[in-house]
Amino acid sequence: MVVSDRPVLVAHDIRHAYRGRVVLQGAGLTLRPGEVVALLGANGAGKSTLLRILLGLLRPTAGQVTLADIPLAAYPRRQLAGLIAYVPQVHSTPFPYTVRQIVGMGRLPASGLFAAPSADDRRAVDQAIARLGIAPLADTPYTEISGGERQLALIARALAQGSRLLVMDEPASGLDYGNQIALLALLRSLAVDGYGILKTTHHPDHVLAGADRVALLRDGRIVADGDPADVLTGERLSELYGVAVAPVRLPDGRRVVAPLLPEERR
Amino acid sequence: MPAWLRLGPALLLGVAAAMLAALCVGRYPLPPADILRFLGAAAGLWEMPTREFDTLFNLIVRIRLPRVLAAVLVGMSLATAGAAFQGVFRNPLVSPGLLGVLAGAAFGAALGIVLDLPWAMVQLLAFLMGVAAVTAGVGIATLFGNGSVIMMVLGGVISGALFTSLLSMVKYVADPYNQLPAIVHWLMGSLALADLDQIGVLIIPIGIGVALLCTLGRALDALTMGDDEARALGVPVQALRILIVALATLISALTVSLAGIIGWVGLIVPHIARLLVGPGNAALLPTSAALGACFLLAADGISRTVATTEIPIGIVTELIGVVAFVLVLGRVRKGWL
Repeated sequence: MVVSDRPVLVAHDIRHAYRGRVVLQGAGLTLRPGEVVALLGANGAGKSTLLRILLGLLRPTAGQVTLADIPLAAYPRRQLAGLIAYVPQVHSTPFPYTVRQIVGMGRLPASGLFAAPSADDRRAVDQAIARLGIAPLADTPYTEISGGERQLALIARALAQGSRLLVMDEPASGLDYGNQIALLALLRSLAVDGYGILKTTHHPDHVLAGADRVALLRDGRIVADGDPADVLTGERLSELYGVAVAPVRLPDGRRVVAPLLPEERR
Repeated sequence: MPAWLRLGPALLLGVAAAMLAALCVGRYPLPPADILRFLGAAAGLWEMPTREFDTLFNLIVRIRLPRVLAAVLVGMSLATAGAAFQGVFRNPLVSPGLLGVLAGAAFGAALGIVLDLPWAMVQLLAFLMGVAAVTAGVGIATLFGNGSVIMMVLGGVISGALFTSLLSMVKYVADPYNQLPAIVHWLMGSLALADLDQIGVLIIPIGIGVALLCTLGRALDALTMGDDEARALGVPVQALRILIVALATLISALTVSLAGIIGWVGLIVPHIARLLVGPGNAALLPTSAALGACFLLAADGISRTVATTEIPIGIVTELIGVVAFVLVLGRVRKGWL
């Protein structure tokens, strides 16, 4: 199957039920190369399910996902892996693989399951490691580096995979404040390089600062989708999370979101 | 270059040296030079007095070679199967018996002994029941779960318990003077009954099984990261998992039919291999195979030299295994737990 080098991922009216419980009831979403899209929603809103469906890991009960106008289900597993990469939440591994070994796993779709890594594979791994600035950690066990460094290793693996679209599950979780901001800058620069990034997040400020577009997921439905500055009103956020928040305009025109605790609401 | 090809020469050399050493030890110790002289004479490179040749032929080829070859086959099978299982189940404390293959094979052999079947049939029954036990466990996992790792482990626990109770039943009805001791002795493992004809047959499926597992190393690495990640990396998770479990079960069940139940090899050897070459399965699986062969050669050497009568090898591997495990635990700092 020949796919354009700027494939667009589209979810059409996704519905999904699991053991009789409706998780998604009409969720639509688009991801284009070159943009950072944030998916915002409360716990249990269906974010992870939608992510798994977008990655082709889960078949929705109804509706379909297309990549370059071709249904996801029509792609061979290996070709799909060359087009969309999954960056999971930072985790630990049962075995102490080195960072280089972890990133090297990203070459499996390109080289095939049985082949040994070629010179091209090694070059791609080195490039991805260099791009994320973790070369000094390349031979350190993944189990011995910090959460922020693990996140970088997992993103490097996605780059080594050669896919233009990256789907990230809460990339900021487990990162300290400085690393969260560094991550926003990294995702922005990847988008400039032409990568399309979809990430779930729990931080409205990260959306306002680092995303081109935001989709709000509530009770299995996308209730708003558009420019973060337009979508993230205090009203919508308060409704989404069931708590009071107030957008604050900074002197330079940018906005941030401040929570309102009960005693401050008067 | 694939890892097994890169490591191959060193691993083969190590196993060959261990085999040579194993041919030397025994009730009548032979210097390595005698064995090399004999091999040269057998290959027609030089002459050797007929009487000496016959004596050496009897000692080396008839008596020692079958058990040396059996030790190599059994050791590499159990160690490779153990390393593969540890990867599939994402747990470094797993051994090849996890899904019930040993319990099933033990029942099969005991049943064969009680039914007074010929030895070859006892071995066949052990193999078949080992495979049946794993099939039952995996079947339970697929039927009542979605074939996930945790369901497979639970299925294996159920199937292992079933076949262990069936084994107890067979032991209970066995004739306590001849059959019961035969069962108990067989359960301790022994290479004494290995013969060259049988080894000539088993070397093919075991060789193929171990070699195939060794080629799956990189895919197994991805599998240890979790199902979703492996799938997103283009790995056909379910098919790969079933294939690896099937191959590991096949070679483990064959070792049981050859040598009874030999514990600890599949648990301890992959750990030692991991300390040497790291956790990447492309290098770990062939290294485990070679170390497993050496480990069992050493255990067999001990089992037939330390006392005047032979000690069952399963007891030796358990004793060495416990000590080795404590030492390995002490040396491991990089958290694989």
